[in-house]
Amino acid sequence: MSVTRRGVLYGSLGAAAAGLSARQAAAAGEPIRFGWLTALTGANSAPGLGYDRSIRYTVNKINAAGGINGRKIELITRDSQGDPAKAVNAAMEMASNLKVHAVFGPVNSGEALATTPIFTRFKIPSLGICVVNSLIDPVKFPNAFRLSPDNSQWDDAVRHYLLDILKAKKVAVIGDNTGFGTMATALAVENFKKAGAEVVYDAVIEANAQDVSPNLIRARSAGAEAIACWSDSTGLDARLMNARGQIGWDVVMAGHPALGSGDVAHLLEKPEYWNKVYTVGYRSCSFDAAGKLPPRQAAYIEEVRGKFELQDTLLWWVLAGVDAVTLVAEAVQKTGSSDSDKIIGYWNSQKKWPGLYGDYAFSPQEHNGYPTNDIVMSAANTSRDGALNIAPGYAS
Amino acid sequence: MIESIISYGLAMGAAYALIAVAYNVMFSTSRVFSFTAGALGMLGGVCGALFIDRLGLPGVVGLLATLAFCAVVGVVTEFVAVRPVLRSLDQHLYVLSTLALCLMIQQFTAIEWSTVPQPFPQLIPVDLLGIRERFWMPVVACVLVVGGLELLYRHSMIGRAFLAIAEDNFAARALGLPERGLRVASYALAGAIGGLAGFASGGIMLAFFANVSPFNFYGFIPVALGSIGNNRGAIVAGIALGLFQQAANFLVGGVFSSVAVFSVFIVALLIVPQGLFGAPPARRV
Repeated sequence: MSVTRRGVLYGSLGAAAAGLSARQAAAAGEPIRFGWLTALTGANSAPGLGYDRSIRYTVNKINAAGGINGRKIELITRDSQGDPAKAVNAAMEMASNLKVHAVFGPVNSGEALATTPIFTRFKIPSLGICVVNSLIDPVKFPNAFRLSPDNSQWDDAVRHYLLDILKAKKVAVIGDNTGFGTMATALAVENFKKAGAEVVYDAVIEANAQDVSPNLIRARSAGAEAIACWSDSTGLDARLMNARGQIGWDVVMAGHPALGSGDVAHLLEKPEYWNKVYTVGYRSCSFDAAGKLPPRQAAYIEEVRGKFELQDTLLWWVLAGVDAVTLVAEAVQKTGSSDSDKIIGYWNSQKKWPGLYGDYAFSPQEHNGYPTNDIVMSAANTSRDGALNIAPGYAS
Repeated sequence: MIESIISYGLAMGAAYALIAVAYNVMFSTSRVFSFTAGALGMLGGVCGALFIDRLGLPGVVGLLATLAFCAVVGVVTEFVAVRPVLRSLDQHLYVLSTLALCLMIQQFTAIEWSTVPQPFPQLIPVDLLGIRERFWMPVVACVLVVGGLELLYRHSMIGRAFLAIAEDNFAARALGLPERGLRVASYALAGAIGGLAGFASGGIMLAFFANVSPFNFYGFIPVALGSIGNNRGAIVAGIALGLFQQAANFLVGGVFSSVAVFSVFIVALLIVPQGLFGAPPARRV
């Protein structure tokens, strides 16, 4: 039998097609590996624990319903303990060894700054919830998308509330010594000054500092009319509120969402120390004047009631966890592939993706998806099911 | 400001001093600096909150249960992290073994207890002479421990045996003293003292697994400043450390207070390397 050039060509094509279909068949049965990297232990673990509940619930729910196109979601969780070095190790393991198809986290900016370039190098679609501005750059990090507002949007909301609604002129800015706390404090100081306010006191404090009354006494002596607080350490937040109460200072505190966490409530010496504390919040997770949540979010709460705890966490952490899993699942379902390019392409095409936490808009040029108009301040001590009342002063 | 410096400074200084005493008690019979001292302090706070707040035990029973639990942890330390490395003390392997056990205790607590600070119960609902419980309790605990150790060391046979082991291990063994048994007992005692430090300062430090590091670092400073093995020096240096730390908190504020504390610590050791209460080393001629 003679071997012709055409025969070799057809044979090669046939072999390639057979190999391709074998790979597709394997991929069809292959689980969708969803990486979930966060601090689940340590001083900054409160947000991670909140997201974790809804992520597990959503993954289990999808898998119980048969998965996505017949493929189960395999949840791969790693605890970074809030340590960037551990986060880097976990990111390398997820990207290089476990070959996750998409990843959510880390949720702490200090860790995300270290892990984002790793996920980019391995072209892994990643959803972030950290607010540090530099984490999102469609040119440098074309795989990285943000579900939350960025730090500027949070900072805008706090500054707008203190200066424009409460009419404060002199402010103090206090943050913790994590990567996020340090950067957020510096940004807030700069923006307050640009807006014409006088920053009479600013400080970066250890997240586990025992006595913070010196800081508050200095701020009061300097004439501060309001305090912007940028720490996600519930211990530090509670200590600030206790110290404020002990020195008898009736000043407004506004800032990071952790100020409204249920963990803060356990640490307060008196419940009234939580008065006049306002946290960054969202219209999707805020009770209106009639005490009602938006319908979709209210329906979700009813769905999960009794299945996991909502009272000691924040609803937006929970809802963002749902959205992260759903965005990945839907991208795989709609494109029929868990390839990196397909998932990223699908996300880039979303003009107003209706999530529970927010309606996200992404494009190849803009990976900050959260709508600024949906950011509001909330009264910290009004938590029910992790949601808060909208702060006084906003038009409904 | 002065009131806050004195109240917080004395309370935290007393807690640091107690941790330093725990270091010293372990060191005296084994020549080992066990880094589980910080873990014992952390466990004191966590166990207090667990026994009293969660399990609903009366305060005194909760305190005794905490001390007993921490004493057992002290004994486990001796068996697991100290005894195996005693033969190679010159290689300082105890640094690794005690630090490893300390980290294991910390991680276990984080998993089983909580990863965020938990409240510590108030035991006596009224203030003592107008001073809040969380401020006077560490100081009272410190005074009781100092008095108790003085009685133990000066007026009991077992205390004298401790001193003999600390003074000259080989001579004490030659005299027939049960060196191993005394070492285990000293680790149990150190466990109870470390646990008391965490329990007494729980109102300030809270029941938090991450308290291991501050207890370890700030508890070691009085050991070095007060001269290694010198309990009286540790108490004085601990109180001074607490007051200075709180004063620095007011004067320089924020994260710089820690920098100030460690700067002064380093300078002090440069000037008096043997510690403030230690004799200068004998010069060989």
